Amino acid sequence: MAIEALVREFEQVAANPQAQLKKYKEAGKKCIGVMPYYAPEELVYAAGMMPFGMWGSNKKTISRAKEYCATFYCTIAQLDLEMLLDGTMDLLDGVITPTICDTLRPMSQNIRVAMSEKLPCIFLAHPQYRKPEFGMKFCHDQYTHIRTELEKIKGSAIADADISEAIRVYNKSRAARRAFVKLASEHCDVITATKRAAVLKASWFMGKDEYTEKLEALNAELSALPVCNWKGTKVVTSGIICDNPTLLKIFEDNNIAIAADDVAHESRAFRVDADETGDPMTALCRQFAEQDYDVLLYDEASNKNRRGEFVAQMVKDSGAQGLVLFMQQFCDPEEMEYPYLKKALEAADVPHIKLGIDQQMRDFGQAATAIQAFADVLEMRK
Amino acid sequence: MSIYTLGIDVGSTASKCVIIKDGAEITAKALIDVGAGTSGPARAIAAVLENAGMTKEDMAFVMATGYGRNSLDEIADGQMSELSCHARGAHFLFPEVHTVIDIGGQDVKVIEIEDGVMKNFAMNDKCAAGTGRFLDVMARVLEVRVQDLGDLAEKSTRVIGISSTCTVFAESEVISQLSMDTDKCDIIAGIHRSVAGRVTGLARRVGVREQVVMTGGVAQNRGIVKALSEELGCEIHTSPLTQYNGALGAALFAYAKATK
Repeated sequence: MAIEALVREFEQVAANPQAQLKKYKEAGKKCIGVMPYYAPEELVYAAGMMPFGMWGSNKKTISRAKEYCATFYCTIAQLDLEMLLDGTMDLLDGVITPTICDTLRPMSQNIRVAMSEKLPCIFLAHPQYRKPEFGMKFCHDQYTHIRTELEKIKGSAIADADISEAIRVYNKSRAARRAFVKLASEHCDVITATKRAAVLKASWFMGKDEYTEKLEALNAELSALPVCNWKGTKVVTSGIICDNPTLLKIFEDNNIAIAADDVAHESRAFRVDADETGDPMTALCRQFAEQDYDVLLYDEASNKNRRGEFVAQMVKDSGAQGLVLFMQQFCDPEEMEYPYLKKALEAADVPHIKLGIDQQMRDFGQAATAIQAFADVLEMRK
Repeated sequence: MSIYTLGIDVGSTASKCVIIKDGAEITAKALIDVGAGTSGPARAIAAVLENAGMTKEDMAFVMATGYGRNSLDEIADGQMSELSCHARGAHFLFPEVHTVIDIGGQDVKVIEIEDGVMKNFAMNDKCAAGTGRFLDVMARVLEVRVQDLGDLAEKSTRVIGISSTCTVFAESEVISQLSMDTDKCDIIAGIHRSVAGRVTGLARRVGVREQVVMTGGVAQNRGIVKALSEELGCEIHTSPLTQYNGALGAALFAYAKATK
């Protein structure tokens, strides 16, 4: 299938998740909402159910969720609650609520209070200390809890063999997405910023077998093209999420391509694979333990500012000229980390801009000015 | 034969035009006190052409900038961000400039300049604090004209602290001070100090290097310039052309395009 047709399919999925949810339900699949971050989706897949990503919405206005949330509250989490309250996600058979940040912890309780009579709300507390044995044991206990709750929804046990198979399917998908990110940079004339985001976003709303098959087909088509001779500039994007097509179109208008990303909704979600051998539950816990360089996760060596250096190095390795940080409004972890990231970027002579965004943004005039000016700065440094 | 170029800066609250000759001399300028989405841009263009005694056809290149820069496709040959234009305009007026602080109607920008070229910048987030809009709101509450704020602040004998950075909360604070019969001049001085504090925080993100030049309509307010100078601990340079700085930069870029 031609590149345009494949990309269009991903764009349609990314633009209309609700239709996907309906499609899977009509096919007889049970669907489980999976909120950010790092929930072991493999367990949902192993249960024969469809994990359905919940990363807010660029189209909805927060209304009902305000009853539960303070004003200064991440819009992604608020919009997840909004979609549960307003019926958008009524077809879900359950929801997994991770609690990695200070917003998601109370939100998990809000969702439980608001929704528990309607659908099972599965609480997930990841360990802060991921790597020590006690952290691994805590994670194992939590993942076992998830497994047990999913088994209740399924109505039967989830076999270890099925979890192992799910790990293989997900590793294949993660590898395909990593390959796509590289190909998207090499062919940024074809895979523009909006297309890139749509392809990656679709992964949250498609069964991994179907998604990976289509993505591998797209990757094969892209691999057959000559690497483009890009005359514009390239950046690395960083932040929680940057999937708004209107915002990303500004990149295209200013000849800015995305060389790589440090975005939770994109590459941070598929950087690390799980071991395909041995006990699969332990493999999933180990996979979480090995997540690194993430602003949302505790770093035992944080005083060395390894994450800042990692991101600065990513810019250099990817061939980008600068970094655009999408600062999600009221995201404490990102805001608290910013001075350290800024310091590392400046030390590495990597220019950057910080754009304050949220999912209620409808006017992008100020962002357009900043992005255009940043393109000017990068051009002048060439 | 001389080359004339036109720069149009359509801001959120005003439309400004500048025509320059051979990239070196200002031929005409015009300003209309309404901006993007109004009749302001068309009126400003008509006015500047009339002032120059010229027509659009006499312009070798027309460059649009400012918040409404994308709405001028019919007349403009190109468009650029106002940050680049403010940097260029300020460097034309002050060749030794290293930092530009532009306070416009709805945003604040701090630009670092090296050898006349924009090297780095910072903008305020989605918040009116520290902008021209903030001063408009305060002037309305105080029942004074915004252009009189600078003169009134000079009469202050005791600067009143306005602690809120949020425009809405700051307005409440001002109303509270008025209800306590606090002298308006002292409140205005406090408002200027509040704006200066906010802008200084932004400026320090970029790094402040002299010469520091302030552009935009708010630079006409001597009270703000004085408060900012005290907060930053350095002299702030302004020009009588401060409101035209973005349009001037656009006209200079237009000249570069026309002669490329």
